[in-house]
Amino acid sequence: MNQAYFEGLRAVGPECVLTLAAFVVLVADLFFGARGARHAGWVAIAGLVATAAAILGGAQDAGVTVFAMVEVDGFARFFKLLMTAGTAAVVLLWMFDARRRRALPGEAFFLLLGALLGGFVIVGTNNALLFVLGFELLSLASYALAGFDKQRPASGEAAIKYIVFGSFATALMIYGISLLYGLTGTLDFTRMAAGDPGSGAPGLIAQLAQGDLPVALALILVLAGFAYKISLAPLHFWAPDVYEGSPTPVTTFLAVVSKVAGFGALLRFLAGLFVNDATAAAMTAYGTRFAMLLAILAAVTMTLGNLAALRQSGLKRLLAYSSIAHAGYAMIGVACLTETGFSSALVYVAVYALMNAGAFAVLIYYEGITGSDKIEQLRGLGWKTPWVGVAMAVLLVSLIGLPPTIGFYGKYRLFVEGWNADLGWLVLVAAINTLISLFYYFRVVKALFLAQPASIEVSRARVVATLAVGAALGTLVFGLWTRPLDQWVSSGLDLLRRG
Amino acid sequence: MESHLLSWITFTPLIGMLAVLAAPRRAQTLIQLIALCATLVPLVLATILYFVAFDPGRADYQLVERVDWIRTIRAEYYVGIDGLSLSLVWLTTLLLFIAVPASFSVERAGKAYYALLLLLEVGIIGVFVSLDYFLFYVFWEVMLLPMYFLIGIWGGPRREYAAIKFFLYTLFGSVLMLVAIVALRLDAGTFSIPTLVELARAGRLTGANLPGGGELLGMSFGAWCFWFLFIGFAIKIPVAPLHTWLPDAHVEAPTPISVILAGILLKLGGYGLLRACFPILPAEFREYAFALGALGAFSIVYGAFVALGQTDFKRLIAYSSVSHMGFVLLGTAAMTEWGTSGAALQMFNHGTSSAALFLIVGVIYDRVHHRDLNAFGGISQVAPRYWAMSTIAFFSALGLPGFAGFVSEALTLIGAFQSSDPRFKLLVAISAIGLVIGAAYMLWAMQRVFLGRLDPKYAKLSDINLREVFSQAPLLFLCVVLGIFPFLVLDPMGPSVARLIGLLRGSP
Repeated sequence: MNQAYFEGLRAVGPECVLTLAAFVVLVADLFFGARGARHAGWVAIAGLVATAAAILGGAQDAGVTVFAMVEVDGFARFFKLLMTAGTAAVVLLWMFDARRRRALPGEAFFLLLGALLGGFVIVGTNNALLFVLGFELLSLASYALAGFDKQRPASGEAAIKYIVFGSFATALMIYGISLLYGLTGTLDFTRMAAGDPGSGAPGLIAQLAQGDLPVALALILVLAGFAYKISLAPLHFWAPDVYEGSPTPVTTFLAVVSKVAGFGALLRFLAGLFVNDATAAAMTAYGTRFAMLLAILAAVTMTLGNLAALRQSGLKRLLAYSSIAHAGYAMIGVACLTETGFSSALVYVAVYALMNAGAFAVLIYYEGITGSDKIEQLRGLGWKTPWVGVAMAVLLVSLIGLPPTIGFYGKYRLFVEGWNADLGWLVLVAAINTLISLFYYFRVVKALFLAQPASIEVSRARVVATLAVGAALGTLVFGLWTRPLDQWVSSGLDLLRRG
Repeated sequence: MESHLLSWITFTPLIGMLAVLAAPRRAQTLIQLIALCATLVPLVLATILYFVAFDPGRADYQLVERVDWIRTIRAEYYVGIDGLSLSLVWLTTLLLFIAVPASFSVERAGKAYYALLLLLEVGIIGVFVSLDYFLFYVFWEVMLLPMYFLIGIWGGPRREYAAIKFFLYTLFGSVLMLVAIVALRLDAGTFSIPTLVELARAGRLTGANLPGGGELLGMSFGAWCFWFLFIGFAIKIPVAPLHTWLPDAHVEAPTPISVILAGILLKLGGYGLLRACFPILPAEFREYAFALGALGAFSIVYGAFVALGQTDFKRLIAYSSVSHMGFVLLGTAAMTEWGTSGAALQMFNHGTSSAALFLIVGVIYDRVHHRDLNAFGGISQVAPRYWAMSTIAFFSALGLPGFAGFVSEALTLIGAFQSSDPRFKLLVAISAIGLVIGAAYMLWAMQRVFLGRLDPKYAKLSDINLREVFSQAPLLFLCVVLGIFPFLVLDPMGPSVARLIGLLRGSP
């Protein structure tokens, strides 16, 4: 027993390291005090680096289930690495945000690591109970983070909105999960389709034969929880307000890490129910109908997100709506419910994370200069800050999905898989949405470069600028040289290859 | 023999761009010198390509380079050249080389300007040499951004509006194109344009490998692929009624950018149709040939009439482009050897004459800072050299025999007349009206600018200077030489055109 226990512990090494790091940060923050909060930030970075090392070092443990609950596989590793990198970027952005440098809250880093742990749990489990725990951990930490700009009422408002909306959505989801449990007698997502022979419950396939209403109800309720986390319409209403009110580094975390976690969990859930070989043809047939629902959600989400973004005057809110639209794009790959479809979704999620982390870094950089997030304040700033300005132009081009950036490659993959899954109409909707998005993204470019520079003091937030330029460079380099991304994604698809 | 000549031509400007970016900001002369060199080298290489490396007797692709690029989606770095693209590549390198000295008078044109100009050249040449549809699309979009900035930053008063309009129109076309490219790729399993053409010839590009037979919104696979690609390219040509971005873009763009826009960017649309739309979907092309010809004729007449009503010198030439590019569509739709050769030659000739005309507008605009045709008059008295050079460009553009424009327009019309579809005779008759009006607005514009009484406020106008002569002379030389020896361009493209017609007609 002890042997197996320690081996299991080793397999969940990254989680252990992360938990340890979180508490070290908390203690370190107490130790350093308010004035040394940046040291706490460095401790958090060190913890994240150690976590990443643990993830990479644990490569040989691919494809095992630990403690009958935690899946350690390439899929989880893909998302964990992505989220760890995202969180590290968020910590750095917060540490060097020109507006927040003076009053750095060390405890925020503890919460960030805690939220990340929640993300780790939900992308790495098929167990409904553990999933809910992870989901709540991620959500609760995020609620607190949203309210961290204590002197700004908008931040508190954002936190309250987030809590109310989040609890509502989570409640729906837990209700859905309880229905699923009642229908199938198992908490394991992968066993729900066929049913659990031990408990004698019939499983979803048998349920479907009798009538699909209970199954549909349960699935839609669970989907509501996911839709909230990845801000799919119609559960996206919280996102713009919360994104706008939260401190910008937290917004970055919500848009990048939290959303990536949501997508990871959603993909795992759907893979367990519909895509894995274990599920019978009956489930696949139902999956096609369910996929249509996902496709409609994708179309509505991207269109609403883009149309709303058109009217924004603040860059932060614009990026919030744009991130809603991008969730819609990524849903094309999810709605395929095929292995190749999921691979395109994985590509897009990674691409999305890179582009948005960069765009938010630019936002933080310019907020530090102008003191606001209004687009009109950016007039001519591109000439004064050529590196960040050009980086923003590249990132926006990538967000639109134009070559030679990685945004184009991601979108191309989605389009192809959409077609393959007989979702040609959705591809067309996405194509037209691309056109709409050009209009608002280029308002930012226009402000940056097509106006004469105003006389404004340009601060040197080097770390933030470096992150932005690095992300922009990444979109260009990996847009032309896609092999690393492809290999990484393909290693993350083992989820679907296990019977 | 393995040759990387095409890659060198394509990417030398990119090296130049990096050099420009690395240069110190204040060293304006150095930046201009680098830009000049970075455009001269491709011109020299393209000249070698034209006269030495290219074998004019062959119809297939030459100097092919083919390397795996993105394995997952089987996209390749696949470039090659045939008679159709050869002259356009050369024209591109020439016009870019001319555009650099023409840019010296553009205000505030520093590092960023020349870097974008060079990036634009990479995109344009890349499109002309790509034989892989994915690569083609990447280069196609690479052109957009520099163009947006070049118009939007260094343009006239309404530059922001013109730039975003240009961008939106073109992107609208290209997202439709992308959808069609994705569908073609899924059906054929390849991005290679030659392979797609082969499959189409064998009748195996029918959407059968797509779910639902590739039907979309009630249209058959071939039909919507065709129209999506067509719209994408037609916006660029531009074919009326998709042309409304063009006058704005032209009027607001600085002179050298107008030159490139009219001289080459419009050709990309025509080239795209001939390379990557019509031969890939020949059955649909034959089905809609008359409609396409009619659109061409409509553009010719419509563009000419609108040009007649313009008082802005630049706007007039912009609309004349709509008119002249209509010939490309008309000639190709006729599916005859003369028609298609005429269309291909017309692209080249319009490239030289319209570029020269925009340079001519630029010369006078730099001196008097307006372009109102009704406010000029008698300029020939103070600037005789300028007047003489302008005459050549005007005459070539209006299609006077002995100048280049005449040859291509005559070829096109004769070719259309020979078409097996009798309705084309009607289109030729209609287009001829456009030709007459073309002569009218050109001569009228010339009269209003150069002849008549000299306004005293222009009495001290300086004549055209050496730098401006240097920009224009090669273009005017081509206008004259190709009027007398059109075979210089026609001969190398002959075999490729013949092959293209075979593909379009569907005969082996």
